[in-house]
Amino acid sequence: MSVRGPRLEFAVGAFLLLALASLLVLAIASTNGRWGFGQSSYELKARFTNLGQLRPSAPVKIGGVTIGTVSDITLDPVKFDSVVTLAIDSRYKDLPIDTSASILTGGLLGESYIGLQPGGDMESLEPGEEIAFTTPAVDLIQMVGKYMFSGGKPAASDNGAQSPDSTEPTP
Amino acid sequence: MPFVAATRSLGRAGLFSLAVLRASVPTRDFLAELVREIYKIGARSLPIIAVGGAFVGLVLTLQGYRTLATFGASNSLSTLLGLSLYRELGPVLTGLLFIGRAGSSIAAELGLMRATDQITALGLMGIDPVRKAVAPRFWAAVLTVPLLTAFFCSFAIAASYLEAVHVIGLDAGYFWSALKDNVDFVDDYCVAFLKSAVFGGTAALVAAYVGYHAEPTIEGTSVATTRAVVNASLLMLMLNFVMSALLFQ
Amino acid sequence: MTEPAPAVRLSAVRLARGGRTVLDGLDLAVPAGSITAVLGPSGSGKSTLLAALTGELAPAAGTVEVFGRPVPRDARALLALRKSIGVLLQGNGLLTDLSVAENVALPLRTHTELPAPVIARLVAMKLHAVGLRAAADLYPRELSGGMARRVALARALALDPPLMLYDEPLTGLDPIASGVVMALVQRLNRTLGLTSIVVSHHVRETLPIADHAVVVANGGIVFAGTPAELEASGDPLVRQFLHGEPDGPIPFDSRAFDNSTPVDARVKAA
Repeated sequence: MSVRGPRLEFAVGAFLLLALASLLVLAIASTNGRWGFGQSSYELKARFTNLGQLRPSAPVKIGGVTIGTVSDITLDPVKFDSVVTLAIDSRYKDLPIDTSASILTGGLLGESYIGLQPGGDMESLEPGEEIAFTTPAVDLIQMVGKYMFSGGKPAASDNGAQSPDSTEPTP
Repeated sequence: MPFVAATRSLGRAGLFSLAVLRASVPTRDFLAELVREIYKIGARSLPIIAVGGAFVGLVLTLQGYRTLATFGASNSLSTLLGLSLYRELGPVLTGLLFIGRAGSSIAAELGLMRATDQITALGLMGIDPVRKAVAPRFWAAVLTVPLLTAFFCSFAIAASYLEAVHVIGLDAGYFWSALKDNVDFVDDYCVAFLKSAVFGGTAALVAAYVGYHAEPTIEGTSVATTRAVVNASLLMLMLNFVMSALLFQ
Repeated sequence: MTEPAPAVRLSAVRLARGGRTVLDGLDLAVPAGSITAVLGPSGSGKSTLLAALTGELAPAAGTVEVFGRPVPRDARALLALRKSIGVLLQGNGLLTDLSVAENVALPLRTHTELPAPVIARLVAMKLHAVGLRAAADLYPRELSGGMARRVALARALALDPPLMLYDEPLTGLDPIASGVVMALVQRLNRTLGLTSIVVSHHVRETLPIADHAVVVANGGIVFAGTPAELEASGDPLVRQFLHGEPDGPIPFDSRAFDNSTPVDARVKAA
């Protein structure tokens, strides 16, 4: 071996320092920095007739800012609509009672996420309560098909406030 | 019966691994050996990891851009790079490069120690050969493979950035922000290093087992080296699948 | 006057490796303070004999006694026994990552609580005894064959063991190095009052320093006595071995090959 004694120790020390530095740089520059494992969050529920591509761990955003994630998705065996559990960061605990939730997509190939539109009510949603106003996901193919085969007339939108071209809020 | 023989062989390997863990006592001599092994298998693997990482980053960027551009989704390039690097390519490719360079040298060194009677001599001097020769190599591998993965990912991301922004012409700001937004610290970053530690440990155990039990001849050492690389690589790929299935929902 | 107890005694010992009997019917008494040469053709089981003395191989039958006590199986007792036996192995067994001084110091650092300066002095003494004090900071790869063998000898002597076992100490050494090693074996045996057992097939170099000679062949001991008696022996196997005759009780034509076709036919067909 060509290196011995103090030079060996220096080489190993330098290696470890460089490695730890690169670990740090990687963590800061290339991850979303959600260090907290059990950041305090509270739960809200929302019902949707159509989830689209929504999956657990999808983000929950207000105006493009992520404030929580989807923690659970189940099907109500009685009413047959999906019950989505949202884990909202406890910093944002005063969501008005008339907040609406819709399932949006970030671009054509983007992942589905839940966008919340806060209302104006003075009362806030308590942990565990259900969001009353929801808009299900838009099925693009269905919409295109309806548009094409309805002879060019834009189909009466049965999806509430959602417009056919999906909005692309910048992340 | 080959099945019985294989099971016995597996059992022996398991007992060997247990012996390695039991022999790991942090005395001063042990730590000195550990430092030496970190140098030999960690620091000296750095060039191959760096070059490998850079080229993997470049080719991922190249091929990823070609495919994504046809969907108009070239802005997702850094997301593609970050997720595939942290989730699979980083730990697995670093592991394979590590096995090729350091795993083979562990097997060769232990095989040579067996052939030159060093292991017998240690036993006759009342020194546990597993404690002196194997355990430091094992812990050095568990420590250094995650660090090497960090280097691999750094060089891959840096090379990718250079190609994506300065050659292809994507937006630099978007490159970093898309990367940061979509790579989760716990689910992707931490899992990558957990995987690497597991890969390093198993690679070292396989290589050490094969080298330690090699025939004490020149031919035995060379056979051991080849077997170590093959077995460690296959085991690592199997473990990767198991870990990915368990850790990524 | 009672005879001093033998350092090593084997009584009706049978040694087997992997179910196959290597040696059988071994009866041997090695007097303390003597140099005993264990000679024999390659593969006759000489090294197996040493393995029985160090406890690496338990006898399939009979008892092996070292310093009057049977070789233990229990790990702690075996460790204590091994501290009192110095072994010089055929491959030297020098650790490649450690310097010469660190190699010699290894048994001292492991088994004693002596402070570092004392260990350094002891290491210097041992190296001086083998004539290699100047090589203390070299690494094993930088040593010649003879020097490496001497360093291994110094390490084997580190704990001042009363019994020294030498497994083929002259393998791969040139005549001068061989002479040095044999002279060291003899001198150390005398000055330190050791008992030495030298396993070798280098008859010409080993016999001159030996007090007793044992020949191992055909799965057992075929001769035990003084070197003079060995030279005078009439046994054909012993004579073939001593004089290096190519043919005799151990035939030139190995029976392992197919002997049904005559040699000329085989050569023509090849």
